[in-house]
Amino acid sequence: MNGLVIAHLYPLEMNIYGDTGNVIALTRRLQWRGLDVRVDPVPTTVAYDFAEADIVFAGGGQDRSQLEVADDLQRRAGAIAEAVEQGTVFLTICGTYQLFGRRFLTRDGTEIPGIGVFAMETIGGSKRMIGNVVVDSPWGDLVGFENHSGRTFLDAGQESLGRVKKGFGNNERTGEEGARVVNCFGTYLHGSLLPKNPAFADGLLRLALERRYGDAAALTPLDDELEHRAAASASRRS
Amino acid sequence: MLRLVFAMAIGRAAGRLSQFLGRGGSAIPGLIAEKIDPCTIEKLAVGLSRGVVIVTGTNGKTTTTKMLVGILEAEGLSVVTNPTGSNLARGVATHLMRAASWRGRIEADIAVFEVDEAAVRTLSPRLSPHLVVVTNLARDQLDRFGELATTAEHVAAALRHADLAVLNADDPLVAEMADAGTETRFFGAAPQVRRLMPADSNLYGAEEESGPQPALQVRLESAEAEGYGERVELGMGGDRLEMHLQVPGTYNGYNAAAALLAGLEYGAGLDRAQAALEAIRPAFGRGQVIEHRGRRVRLLLVKNPAGFNQIIRLLGEVGESSVLVAINDLDADGHDVSWLWDARLEDLAGCGHRFGTSGIRAYDMGLRLKYAGIEAWSEPDLSAALERLVASASEGETVILVPTYTAMLRLHSMLLPGTRKREAWT
Repeated sequence: MNGLVIAHLYPLEMNIYGDTGNVIALTRRLQWRGLDVRVDPVPTTVAYDFAEADIVFAGGGQDRSQLEVADDLQRRAGAIAEAVEQGTVFLTICGTYQLFGRRFLTRDGTEIPGIGVFAMETIGGSKRMIGNVVVDSPWGDLVGFENHSGRTFLDAGQESLGRVKKGFGNNERTGEEGARVVNCFGTYLHGSLLPKNPAFADGLLRLALERRYGDAAALTPLDDELEHRAAASASRRS
Repeated sequence: MLRLVFAMAIGRAAGRLSQFLGRGGSAIPGLIAEKIDPCTIEKLAVGLSRGVVIVTGTNGKTTTTKMLVGILEAEGLSVVTNPTGSNLARGVATHLMRAASWRGRIEADIAVFEVDEAAVRTLSPRLSPHLVVVTNLARDQLDRFGELATTAEHVAAALRHADLAVLNADDPLVAEMADAGTETRFFGAAPQVRRLMPADSNLYGAEEESGPQPALQVRLESAEAEGYGERVELGMGGDRLEMHLQVPGTYNGYNAAAALLAGLEYGAGLDRAQAALEAIRPAFGRGQVIEHRGRRVRLLLVKNPAGFNQIIRLLGEVGESSVLVAINDLDADGHDVSWLWDARLEDLAGCGHRFGTSGIRAYDMGLRLKYAGIEAWSEPDLSAALERLVASASEGETVILVPTYTAMLRLHSMLLPGTRKREAWT
């Protein structure tokens, strides 16, 4: 096969705020370059071999869904840690991003254990951090929308995805947004993230193609004018 | 009572002043009166001999309210209601005041109010409704509510103050509320109709798990597009009513089922109820058709992915048309436009419609269509986009506008200059 396999983790349970758009964006941007793509939906309780996947995507969810997937994620913790170590590309948004840290202490004192891919903890707060976000990242400005009450604190030495230029990001204090370990990324940006940030979308595809085929020559340039216009109109909103 | 009389007099004067200044003012009289007498709503509502009905939920509030008012009026009842948009406390107070004498005596039998899902928790104990109708709960403006579960809690709390709940059996979050302790009646649809309703999120076409459906008092047996409306069949035990609704879409079949079930609680006769439902014209922006420069412009308000999916299904059934989707992100629309990615625009690829996008987030919508494999032009300016839409259709043709709330208000005022002030909420 001349293409990539995308695993969509918890597509029904963790899919809110248009997270599906990220899978659509990755799929289309491969297809427009004449590459094949296969999307494997991976709901809770269904076994999956992460060695199959080039890119694993997992979205955000409401509190109730987050509790539902937390146990399932624990059972996959070893397999996910191994895939991350081997350079599989991961993109986790909001609710799953939080569970990829060590733990999530909710506002009512419940502790939801995470799988510790990222060296970080999340603490539930009373105030929701809601609004448009602009983040300075290695792929240029990333624009999105955040909506979370958990505040995430990275350990010293844990790499972030970027610095917040507008909005809250991981929490309201440190100015950091998201996290990265090898090719595993976490972020609070939804809205959807990848359609409006084609440089980051292609960055993920590049990592995956290089890992699978040794080079990313197939990643020919696309006309991203509309993408940039949408990003510009989003970053003008406050 | 003196306080109420004073509150109403000042509120009404403020409303007239506001209207004189050209600021609309549907909410002003109630807002001011409530400041002077915080029990304005309680004192007026108690005078309604047949009590109050509240209609709440994410989608379908406005049309269901209109339908129920029609059914009750056909029974000879005098009904107070609130038009679309004035569905917070101030709007309810204003419309109760309009039905009252200067001394605060209500000159109507019953009130049917559509109430915002976030306001229903506090309004329900104040109105002590006989009946609360819950149409459905879907993801809508999550930046306003935070979580869908929170909205469900608000509505469930509101039900505790009602004598009777009329619930949608096919919406799991709504059906769950039957446990709240209030006596419950259910409306819903036959299995073949339920399948027509796109689920909120099923990207991979997975069948949503659904538990056993509770016994239905009114069941939507069939629904199919017919002209600009919908032919539906409603079943009640052994009785069946077949009718042509002027409002389109399967979802309006659900609204009719909800309104009929509520109407039956007030002893509505089936023949009269059917005639009343058939007479219901589309509510403001909900399938309404306006003549504009020789074209028929059909307005389909869009608020959230569930509603968008219903419109997508409708667009799949009508012939090739010019369609303009106008997305704003102001307070009343929701600041977060990510829900566009949860709507199944892919279903419209290859359907032959000519698409354009407009509004503050015109390019976001254009991008959504691009990734769905649909070509579209984008023009953020609403008035220029409307011109372009009209120019793309020939005389006598129907063009379709799919705007969010504030985009609809602006487009409506362009299509029917001078009407906005009366219809708009403030």
